[in-house]
Amino acid sequence: MTATDAPRVVADPRPVIVEQGGRHELLGARCVSCRHALARRTPRCPWCRSPVEPAAFGPDGAIWAVTVVHVATGDRDVPYTLAYLDLDDGPRLLVQLDRAAAVGDRARLAAPAPGGDPAAELLA
Amino acid sequence: MTVAVWGVGTSRFGRQPDRSAVELAWDAVQEALADASVEEVDAAYVGTVFEAPGVAQRALSGIGLTGIPIVTVENACASGTTAFHEAREAVRTGRYERVLALGVEHLTSRFDGPITPERTDPEQASGLLLPALYALSASRYMAEHGATPADFARVSVKNSRHGALNPRAGRRRAVTEEEVLCSRMIAEPLTLYQCAGLSDAAAAAVLGPARRGEHDVPVRASVLRSGTAWDQRSAHVWGYDIVHATSARAYEEAGIGPADVDVLEVHDAFTVGEIVTVEALGLAEFGGASRRVASGALSLGGDQPVNPSGGLLSRGHPLGATGLAQIAELTWQLRGEAGERQVPGARTALVETMGGGASGVDGNGCVVAVLGG
Repeated sequence: MTATDAPRVVADPRPVIVEQGGRHELLGARCVSCRHALARRTPRCPWCRSPVEPAAFGPDGAIWAVTVVHVATGDRDVPYTLAYLDLDDGPRLLVQLDRAAAVGDRARLAAPAPGGDPAAELLA
Repeated sequence: MTVAVWGVGTSRFGRQPDRSAVELAWDAVQEALADASVEEVDAAYVGTVFEAPGVAQRALSGIGLTGIPIVTVENACASGTTAFHEAREAVRTGRYERVLALGVEHLTSRFDGPITPERTDPEQASGLLLPALYALSASRYMAEHGATPADFARVSVKNSRHGALNPRAGRRRAVTEEEVLCSRMIAEPLTLYQCAGLSDAAAAAVLGPARRGEHDVPVRASVLRSGTAWDQRSAHVWGYDIVHATSARAYEEAGIGPADVDVLEVHDAFTVGEIVTVEALGLAEFGGASRRVASGALSLGGDQPVNPSGGLLSRGHPLGATGLAQIAELTWQLRGEAGERQVPGARTALVETMGGGASGVDGNGCVVAVLGG
């Protein structure tokens, strides 16, 4: 098998974001021992190896780093803005932003982008 | 037992549509065998990321290296140095005597632009191309240290000057800071000339117990590790901690410190990568690498030349071949065979390669090796 004739269907590995009463939340997990917040539900905590329990995070957070991507990948229109959003008391999540931003800006989880990428909107 | 590099070889680097991965491997392996003065090896470790299964056997059978154990390894950008590390361990522990490490990659027959994101990975499936991952590091680095895009561009200027002296490099033109900054934007603040290009190549080394004579280059240390988790708990930008931890163990094994290194080949797939790596290796204080680049300390003629070959930015980055090309360059440097790129009197050399791409992991693999002395 090669990269070009790989199976056409793969399970969507992207983080799960749902709308709950008008707010968007990330369905992640929290370590039962060290309380570390995880963006996905893995069997164990990657830092202390304890079990984890389901937890929801968001919607608000602070931008840890941000870039504007100018080369196309998949169906995304370029340019598009990508940021690591550190959710308050939650995990770091890679999101598409609605516009350019600076490190430290506040943002809020939003409905996923048209292609399904996690997304957030800048606050103020 | 002290293990030594007996011989090295590489194909030419660059876009080579008329030559196959197998043919490129023949160039590298035959040169390495001749350089080592051996006809055969007892085993082979082969690093590649995107080549088809069986590429190692197809290549090695064509030059009569059959019937031996052949192990193919993948560790993203560090696949070649992982093959080198395993070959050294195999000799050191007495498992085999003469071992070939080979890296091979024909990237331009697989990709047109940046390497396609891996759709089974959470972040890559969310649009995170590798240049964007490094751009996010650059964004954070600028916010923390007040660095500017020019600080990154100067890495390309430096390495392109070195690469212009390297007859095997894919890009052999020295570029100016303005050219770098004005080249096409890829992922802000990284422009095209700050990204290693797609390239096709193979590189190889033959390792064995150290023999008498000046030709063999001793391997004083080699350390391989994978990254810890990388997320909101991490204190540094992506890739810093794995390089720091791997190099700390390599310095300890070699019995040296960062100041004792005369010449280095490090992972500059993107300019910011060299900046972060130079700090993680302890060659500059936290936030201080860009000043050492700007001062010329890391250029040929400076205190500690980094990437005298021109680095990945000049060679191009054929993933599996990269690490062994780094080993080849440092072998030539330590023997005094590097021609116009020679670092006078180089006695101790360090190679670092870090490969990544798995979400939430601070690098899939990193190898730091110390040669010479």
